[in-house]
Amino acid sequence: MRCATARKRLSDALGGALRPGRKPGVEAHLKVCESCRSYRDGLARIQAGAALPDAHPPEFWAAFERGLERKLAAAEAGRATVVPALAVRRRFAWAAAAAMVLAGAGIWYGLFRPQTAVTEAWVPYEDVLAPLVQAAEADPELAAIVDREVRAAIDEIDPAPDADSVALSAADPLFWEGLTDNELKDILTELEDEARRGGPL
Amino acid sequence: MDERPEELLVEEARKGGREAFAELARRHERRVHGVALRMAGNVSDADDLAQEVFLTAWKAIGSFRGGSSFYTWLYRIAVNTSLTFLKKRGREKDRAPFDENLPAGAAGRGFSRGPEAGAAMSELAARIAEAVAALPVHFRVAFALVVDQGLSHAAAARVLGCPENTVSWRMHKARKILQARLKPYIEEVRS
Repeated sequence: MRCATARKRLSDALGGALRPGRKPGVEAHLKVCESCRSYRDGLARIQAGAALPDAHPPEFWAAFERGLERKLAAAEAGRATVVPALAVRRRFAWAAAAAMVLAGAGIWYGLFRPQTAVTEAWVPYEDVLAPLVQAAEADPELAAIVDREVRAAIDEIDPAPDADSVALSAADPLFWEGLTDNELKDILTELEDEARRGGPL
Repeated sequence: MDERPEELLVEEARKGGREAFAELARRHERRVHGVALRMAGNVSDADDLAQEVFLTAWKAIGSFRGGSSFYTWLYRIAVNTSLTFLKKRGREKDRAPFDENLPAGAAGRGFSRGPEAGAAMSELAARIAEAVAALPVHFRVAFALVVDQGLSHAAAARVLGCPENTVSWRMHKARKILQARLKPYIEEVRS
Protein backbone atom coordinates (compact mmCIF):
# COMPACT_ATOMS: atom_id res chain seq x y z
CA MET A 1 0.00 0.00 0.00
CA ARG A 2 1.25 3.46 -0.87
CA CYS A 3 1.67 6.03 1.91
CA ALA A 4 -0.84 8.40 0.24
CA THR A 5 -3.50 5.68 0.31
CA ALA A 6 -2.70 4.74 3.89
CA ARG A 7 -2.99 8.39 5.02
CA LYS A 8 -6.35 8.87 3.34
CA ARG A 9 -7.58 5.75 5.12
CA LEU A 10 -6.15 6.95 8.42
CA SER A 11 -8.27 10.09 8.04
CA ASP A 12 -11.33 7.95 7.25
CA ALA A 13 -10.61 5.86 10.35
CA LEU A 14 -10.53 8.96 12.57
CA GLY A 15 -13.91 9.97 11.16
CA GLY A 16 -15.31 6.48 11.71
CA ALA A 17 -15.70 6.03 7.96
CA LEU A 18 -13.10 3.35 7.24
CA ARG A 19 -14.62 0.20 5.78
CA PRO A 20 -13.88 -2.78 8.01
CA GLY A 21 -12.31 -4.70 5.14
CA ARG A 22 -9.63 -2.03 4.70
CA LYS A 23 -8.45 -1.93 8.28
CA PRO A 24 -6.01 -4.93 8.06
CA GLY A 25 -4.24 -3.40 5.07
CA VAL A 26 -3.72 -0.10 6.88
CA GLU A 27 -2.45 -1.83 10.01
CA ALA A 28 -0.03 -3.90 7.97
CA HIS A 29 1.30 -0.74 6.32
CA LEU A 30 1.77 1.02 9.66
CA LYS A 31 3.89 -1.84 10.95
CA VAL A 32 6.46 -1.25 8.27
CA CYS A 33 6.20 2.56 7.76
CA GLU A 34 7.49 4.80 10.51
CA SER A 35 6.56 7.97 8.60
CA CYS A 36 2.89 6.96 8.47
CA ARG A 37 2.96 5.97 12.14
CA SER A 38 4.21 9.44 12.94
CA TYR A 39 1.52 10.92 10.70
CA ARG A 40 -1.16 8.90 12.49
CA ASP A 41 0.06 10.11 15.91
CA GLY A 42 0.03 13.69 14.69
CA LEU A 43 -3.55 13.37 13.45
CA ALA A 44 -4.63 11.93 16.78
CA ARG A 45 -3.04 14.84 18.67
CA ILE A 46 -4.69 17.39 16.42
CA GLN A 47 -8.03 15.67 16.81
CA ALA A 48 -7.69 15.65 20.60
CA GLY A 49 -6.48 19.25 20.78
CA ALA A 50 -9.11 20.65 18.44
CA ALA A 51 -12.07 20.18 20.79
CA LEU A 52 -13.89 23.43 21.39
CA PRO A 53 -14.13 24.06 25.11
CA ASP A 54 -17.66 24.64 26.36
CA ALA A 55 -16.51 27.25 28.81
CA HIS A 56 -19.72 29.24 28.85
CA PRO A 57 -21.45 29.42 32.24
CA PRO A 58 -25.23 28.91 32.59
CA GLU A 59 -25.69 32.71 32.73
CA PHE A 60 -24.27 32.93 29.22
CA TRP A 61 -26.89 30.54 27.86
CA ALA A 62 -29.67 32.23 29.81
CA ALA A 63 -28.73 35.57 28.24
CA PHE A 64 -28.51 33.90 24.83
CA GLU A 65 -32.01 32.48 25.23
CA ARG A 66 -33.44 35.82 26.38
CA GLY A 67 -31.94 37.56 23.38
CA LEU A 68 -33.28 34.90 21.05
CA GLU A 69 -36.74 35.11 22.61
CA ARG A 70 -36.80 38.86 21.98
CA LYS A 71 -35.87 38.35 18.33
CA LEU A 72 -38.48 35.62 17.85
CA ALA A 73 -41.18 37.80 19.40
CA ALA A 74 -40.18 40.73 17.19
CA ALA A 75 -40.24 38.50 14.11
CA GLU A 76 -43.69 37.19 15.02
CA ALA A 77 -45.04 40.69 15.63
CA GLY A 78 -43.62 41.82 12.31
CA ARG A 79 -45.24 38.87 10.58
CA ALA A 80 -48.61 39.66 12.19
CA THR A 81 -48.56 43.24 10.94
CA VAL A 82 -47.29 42.37 7.53
CA VAL A 83 -50.04 39.88 6.68
CA PRO A 84 -52.98 42.35 6.82
CA ALA A 85 -50.96 44.89 4.86
CA LEU A 86 -50.38 42.30 2.19
CA ALA A 87 -54.07 41.41 2.19
CA VAL A 88 -55.02 45.08 1.73
CA ARG A 89 -52.58 45.44 -1.13
CA ARG A 90 -53.96 42.26 -2.73
CA ARG A 91 -57.56 43.51 -2.48
CA PHE A 92 -56.52 46.84 -3.99
CA ALA A 93 -54.82 45.02 -6.86
CA TRP A 94 -57.97 42.99 -7.59
CA ALA A 95 -60.11 46.13 -7.49
CA ALA A 96 -57.74 47.93 -9.86
CA ALA A 97 -57.72 44.96 -12.23
CA ALA A 98 -61.53 44.80 -12.24
CA ALA A 99 -61.76 48.56 -12.93
CA MET A 100 -59.34 48.21 -15.84
CA VAL A 101 -61.34 45.35 -17.34
CA LEU A 102 -64.59 47.32 -17.07
CA ALA A 103 -63.00 50.41 -18.61
CA GLY A 104 -61.62 48.31 -21.46
CA ALA A 105 -65.00 46.74 -22.10
CA GLY A 106 -66.63 50.18 -22.11
CA ILE A 107 -64.12 51.57 -24.59
CA TRP A 108 -64.53 48.54 -26.82
CA TYR A 109 -68.31 48.86 -26.77
CA GLY A 110 -68.11 52.57 -27.54
CA LEU A 111 -65.86 52.04 -30.53
CA PHE A 112 -67.07 48.78 -32.03
CA ARG A 113 -70.71 48.28 -30.97
CA PRO A 114 -73.13 47.24 -33.81
CA GLN A 115 -74.60 50.24 -35.63
CA THR A 116 -78.36 49.88 -35.53
CA ALA A 117 -79.52 53.21 -36.97
CA VAL A 118 -81.61 52.30 -39.99
CA THR A 119 -80.58 55.28 -42.09
CA GLU A 120 -76.86 54.63 -41.58
CA ALA A 121 -77.30 50.92 -42.28
CA TRP A 122 -78.88 51.63 -45.65
CA VAL A 123 -76.18 53.95 -46.94
CA PRO A 124 -73.75 51.30 -48.30
CA TYR A 125 -76.58 49.60 -50.28
CA GLU A 126 -78.21 52.73 -51.69
CA ASP A 127 -76.66 52.54 -55.19
CA VAL A 128 -77.45 48.85 -55.56
CA LEU A 129 -81.02 49.04 -54.30
CA ALA A 130 -82.15 52.13 -56.26
CA PRO A 131 -82.47 50.31 -59.69
CA LEU A 132 -84.19 47.42 -57.98
CA VAL A 133 -86.75 49.68 -56.33
CA GLN A 134 -87.38 51.38 -59.71
CA ALA A 135 -87.95 48.02 -61.43
CA ALA A 136 -90.29 46.97 -58.59
CA GLU A 137 -92.50 50.00 -59.22
CA ALA A 138 -93.34 48.55 -62.65
CA ASP A 139 -93.82 44.96 -61.45
CA PRO A 140 -96.25 44.36 -58.50
CA GLU A 141 -94.98 40.84 -57.93
CA LEU A 142 -91.38 42.04 -57.72
CA ALA A 143 -92.51 44.93 -55.54
CA ALA A 144 -94.04 42.50 -53.06
CA ILE A 145 -90.85 40.47 -52.91
CA VAL A 146 -88.69 43.58 -52.47
CA ASP A 147 -91.03 44.95 -49.86
CA ARG A 148 -90.93 41.70 -47.91
CA GLU A 149 -87.14 41.49 -48.05
CA VAL A 150 -86.65 45.14 -47.12
CA ARG A 151 -88.97 44.83 -44.14
CA ALA A 152 -87.21 41.66 -43.04
CA ALA A 153 -83.87 43.44 -43.29
CA ILE A 154 -85.18 46.38 -41.28
CA ASP A 155 -86.53 44.06 -38.61
CA GLU A 156 -83.19 42.36 -38.43
CA ILE A 157 -81.25 45.62 -38.07
CA ASP A 158 -83.75 47.50 -35.93
CA PRO A 159 -86.22 45.10 -34.33
CA ALA A 160 -89.67 46.48 -33.64
CA PRO A 161 -90.63 47.02 -30.00
CA ASP A 162 -92.39 44.09 -28.51
CA ALA A 163 -96.11 43.81 -29.10
CA ASP A 164 -96.98 44.40 -25.48
CA SER A 165 -95.37 47.83 -25.32
CA VAL A 166 -96.99 48.85 -28.69
CA ALA A 167 -100.40 47.80 -27.53
CA LEU A 168 -99.90 49.57 -24.23
CA SER A 169 -99.06 52.96 -25.78
CA ALA A 170 -101.89 52.66 -28.35
CA ALA A 171 -104.37 51.83 -25.67
CA ASP A 172 -103.33 54.65 -23.38
CA PRO A 173 -106.68 56.40 -22.78
CA LEU A 174 -104.99 59.43 -21.31
CA PHE A 175 -102.73 60.09 -24.35
CA TRP A 176 -105.05 62.56 -26.06
CA GLU A 177 -106.27 63.99 -22.78
CA GLY A 178 -102.77 65.18 -21.88
CA LEU A 179 -102.17 67.16 -25.09
CA THR A 180 -102.48 70.96 -25.17
CA ASP A 181 -104.49 72.83 -27.80
CA ASN A 182 -101.30 73.87 -29.62
CA GLU A 183 -100.05 70.27 -29.74
CA LEU A 184 -103.40 69.09 -31.11
CA LYS A 185 -103.22 71.87 -33.68
CA ASP A 186 -99.71 70.77 -34.79
CA ILE A 187 -100.83 67.17 -35.17
CA LEU A 188 -103.78 68.25 -37.27
CA THR A 189 -101.49 70.34 -39.50
CA GLU A 190 -99.13 67.37 -40.05
CA LEU A 191 -102.06 65.08 -40.94
CA GLU A 192 -103.33 67.60 -43.48
CA ASP A 193 -99.86 67.87 -45.04
CA GLU A 194 -99.62 64.11 -45.31
CA ALA A 195 -103.10 63.97 -46.91
CA ARG A 196 -101.98 66.51 -49.51
CA ARG A 197 -98.88 64.35 -50.28
CA GLY A 198 -101.04 61.29 -50.80
CA GLY A 199 -101.45 59.98 -47.31
CA PRO A 200 -99.15 58.05 -44.95
CA LEU A 201 -97.05 55.24 -46.38
CA MET B 1 -37.37 20.13 32.17
CA ASP B 2 -39.45 19.70 29.03
CA GLU B 3 -39.42 16.03 28.07
CA ARG B 4 -41.64 16.17 25.02
CA PRO B 5 -40.18 14.26 22.06
CA GLU B 6 -38.50 16.36 19.43
CA GLU B 7 -40.96 15.33 16.71
CA LEU B 8 -43.82 16.72 18.76
CA LEU B 9 -42.01 19.98 19.39
CA VAL B 10 -41.24 20.31 15.69
CA GLU B 11 -44.89 19.72 14.79
CA GLU B 12 -46.06 22.32 17.30
CA ALA B 13 -43.43 24.80 16.11
CA ARG B 14 -44.57 24.26 12.52
CA LYS B 15 -48.07 25.32 13.59
CA GLY B 16 -46.66 28.52 15.06
CA GLY B 17 -45.85 27.37 18.58
CA ARG B 18 -43.10 29.74 19.67
CA GLU B 19 -42.71 28.09 23.05
CA ALA B 20 -42.11 24.72 21.35
CA PHE B 21 -39.54 26.31 19.05
CA ALA B 22 -37.80 27.94 22.01
CA GLU B 23 -37.46 24.49 23.59
CA LEU B 24 -35.97 23.15 20.34
CA ALA B 25 -33.54 26.06 20.35
CA ARG B 26 -32.54 25.28 23.94
CA ARG B 27 -31.80 21.68 22.99
CA HIS B 28 -29.63 22.62 20.01
CA GLU B 29 -28.11 25.96 21.04
CA ARG B 30 -24.72 24.53 22.06
CA ARG B 31 -24.27 22.65 18.81
CA VAL B 32 -25.31 25.58 16.66
CA HIS B 33 -23.18 27.95 18.69
CA GLY B 34 -20.25 25.55 18.26
CA VAL B 35 -20.54 25.63 14.47
CA ALA B 36 -20.94 29.40 14.56
CA LEU B 37 -17.89 29.80 16.79
CA ARG B 38 -15.73 27.63 14.53
CA MET B 39 -16.84 29.55 11.46
CA ALA B 40 -16.87 33.09 12.89
CA GLY B 41 -13.72 32.69 14.97
CA ASN B 42 -14.87 34.75 17.97
CA VAL B 43 -17.59 34.53 20.59
CA SER B 44 -19.22 37.87 19.85
CA ASP B 45 -19.82 37.12 16.17
CA ALA B 46 -20.75 33.54 17.05
CA ASP B 47 -23.54 34.81 19.35
CA ASP B 48 -25.04 36.95 16.60
CA LEU B 49 -24.59 34.19 14.06
CA ALA B 50 -26.23 31.52 16.21
CA GLN B 51 -29.21 33.76 16.95
CA GLU B 52 -29.50 34.51 13.24
CA VAL B 53 -29.55 30.75 12.58
CA PHE B 54 -32.44 30.22 14.98
CA LEU B 55 -34.31 33.24 13.68
CA THR B 56 -34.00 31.93 10.12
CA ALA B 57 -35.13 28.50 11.26
CA TRP B 58 -38.15 30.03 13.05
CA LYS B 59 -39.18 31.90 9.92
CA ALA B 60 -38.75 28.78 7.78
CA ILE B 61 -40.07 26.11 10.15
CA GLY B 62 -43.42 26.10 8.35
CA SER B 63 -41.71 24.76 5.24
CA PHE B 64 -39.85 21.99 7.13
CA ARG B 65 -41.44 18.75 5.91
CA GLY B 66 -39.41 16.31 7.95
CA GLY B 67 -37.58 14.89 4.92
CA SER B 68 -34.43 14.99 7.04
CA SER B 69 -33.98 15.08 10.79
CA PHE B 70 -34.48 18.42 12.49
CA TYR B 71 -30.83 18.73 13.50
CA THR B 72 -29.68 18.04 9.92
CA TRP B 73 -32.00 20.80 8.73
CA LEU B 74 -30.78 23.12 11.49
CA TYR B 75 -27.10 22.40 10.74
CA ARG B 76 -27.76 23.15 7.09
CA ILE B 77 -29.15 26.55 8.03
CA ALA B 78 -26.18 27.07 10.34
CA VAL B 79 -23.70 26.30 7.56
CA ASN B 80 -25.48 28.47 4.99
CA THR B 81 -25.86 31.36 7.42
CA SER B 82 -22.17 31.07 8.35
CA LEU B 83 -21.07 31.13 4.73
CA THR B 84 -23.22 34.17 4.05
CA PHE B 85 -21.83 35.83 7.15
CA LEU B 86 -18.25 35.16 6.07
CA LYS B 87 -18.93 36.55 2.63
CA LYS B 88 -20.31 39.71 4.17
CA ARG B 89 -17.42 40.10 6.50
CA GLY B 90 -15.00 39.59 3.68
CA ARG B 91 -12.65 37.74 5.91
CA GLU B 92 -11.98 35.06 3.32
CA LYS B 93 -11.08 37.64 0.71
CA ASP B 94 -8.81 39.57 3.01
CA ARG B 95 -6.98 36.54 4.31
CA ALA B 96 -3.44 36.10 3.04
CA PRO B 97 -2.93 33.18 0.61
CA PHE B 98 -2.47 29.95 2.50
CA ASP B 99 1.00 28.46 2.64
CA GLU B 100 0.92 24.99 4.13
CA ASN B 101 4.67 25.02 4.69
CA LEU B 102 4.45 28.09 6.90
CA PRO B 103 4.32 27.12 10.58
CA ALA B 104 1.25 28.41 12.38
CA GLY B 105 1.88 31.62 14.28
CA ALA B 106 5.22 32.17 12.58
CA ALA B 107 4.23 35.64 11.44
CA GLY B 108 2.48 36.55 14.66
CA ARG B 109 2.95 35.04 18.06
CA GLY B 110 6.41 33.52 18.67
CA PHE B 111 6.74 29.88 19.59
CA SER B 112 8.81 29.41 22.68
CA ARG B 113 10.84 26.21 22.68
CA GLY B 114 11.42 24.10 25.75
CA PRO B 115 8.23 24.83 27.77
CA GLU B 116 6.92 22.32 30.20
CA ALA B 117 4.48 19.70 28.89
CA GLY B 118 1.20 21.28 30.16
CA ALA B 119 2.05 24.69 28.76
CA ALA B 120 3.09 23.08 25.49
CA MET B 121 -0.29 21.33 25.25
CA SER B 122 -2.30 24.54 25.72
CA GLU B 123 0.02 26.24 23.27
CA LEU B 124 -0.72 23.42 20.86
CA ALA B 125 -4.48 23.87 21.37
CA ALA B 126 -4.15 27.55 20.54
CA ARG B 127 -2.09 26.75 17.45
CA ILE B 128 -4.61 24.16 16.36
CA ALA B 129 -7.43 26.71 16.70
CA GLU B 130 -5.46 29.20 14.60
CA ALA B 131 -4.65 26.60 11.98
CA VAL B 132 -8.26 25.43 11.73
CA ALA B 133 -9.42 29.04 11.43
CA ALA B 134 -7.02 29.46 8.51
CA LEU B 135 -8.37 26.44 6.61
CA PRO B 136 -10.20 27.09 3.34
CA VAL B 137 -13.83 27.58 4.22
CA HIS B 138 -15.23 24.32 2.81
CA PHE B 139 -12.58 22.31 4.67
CA ARG B 140 -13.38 24.24 7.83
CA VAL B 141 -17.09 23.52 7.54
CA ALA B 142 -16.38 19.80 7.14
CA PHE B 143 -13.98 19.95 10.11
CA ALA B 144 -16.60 21.71 12.26
CA LEU B 145 -19.23 19.08 11.50
CA VAL B 146 -17.07 15.96 11.72
CA VAL B 147 -14.54 16.80 14.43
CA ASP B 148 -16.35 19.40 16.54
CA GLN B 149 -19.86 18.04 16.25
CA GLY B 150 -18.96 14.38 15.91
CA LEU B 151 -21.08 13.81 12.81
CA SER B 152 -20.29 10.81 10.62
CA HIS B 153 -19.12 11.53 7.09
CA ALA B 154 -22.54 10.40 5.85
CA ALA B 155 -24.40 12.74 8.21
CA ALA B 156 -22.11 15.66 7.33
CA ALA B 157 -22.71 14.91 3.65
CA ARG B 158 -26.48 15.17 4.23
CA VAL B 159 -26.01 18.55 5.89
CA LEU B 160 -23.76 19.84 3.13
CA GLY B 161 -25.77 18.29 0.32
CA CYS B 162 -22.76 16.57 -1.22
CA PRO B 163 -21.58 12.95 -1.63
CA GLU B 164 -20.09 11.24 1.41
CA ASN B 165 -16.86 10.74 -0.50
CA THR B 166 -16.53 14.51 -0.89
CA VAL B 167 -16.63 14.91 2.88
CA SER B 168 -13.99 12.16 3.26
CA TRP B 169 -11.65 13.91 0.83
CA ARG B 170 -12.19 17.33 2.40
CA MET B 171 -11.40 15.89 5.81
CA HIS B 172 -8.29 14.17 4.48
CA LYS B 173 -7.08 17.40 2.85
CA ALA B 174 -7.89 19.42 5.97
CA ARG B 175 -5.96 17.01 8.20
CA LYS B 176 -3.05 16.99 5.80
CA ILE B 177 -2.89 20.79 5.84
CA LEU B 178 -3.15 20.92 9.62
CA GLN B 179 -0.48 18.26 9.99
CA ALA B 180 1.89 20.24 7.77
CA ARG B 181 1.28 23.51 9.59
CA LEU B 182 1.41 22.08 13.09
CA LYS B 183 4.25 19.61 12.68
CA PRO B 184 6.81 21.66 14.67
CA TYR B 185 4.46 22.04 17.63
CA ILE B 186 3.37 18.41 17.61
CA GLU B 187 6.99 17.29 17.73
CA GLU B 188 7.63 19.73 20.56
CA VAL B 189 4.83 18.19 22.62
CA ARG B 190 5.99 14.70 21.72
CA SER B 191 9.53 15.41 22.96
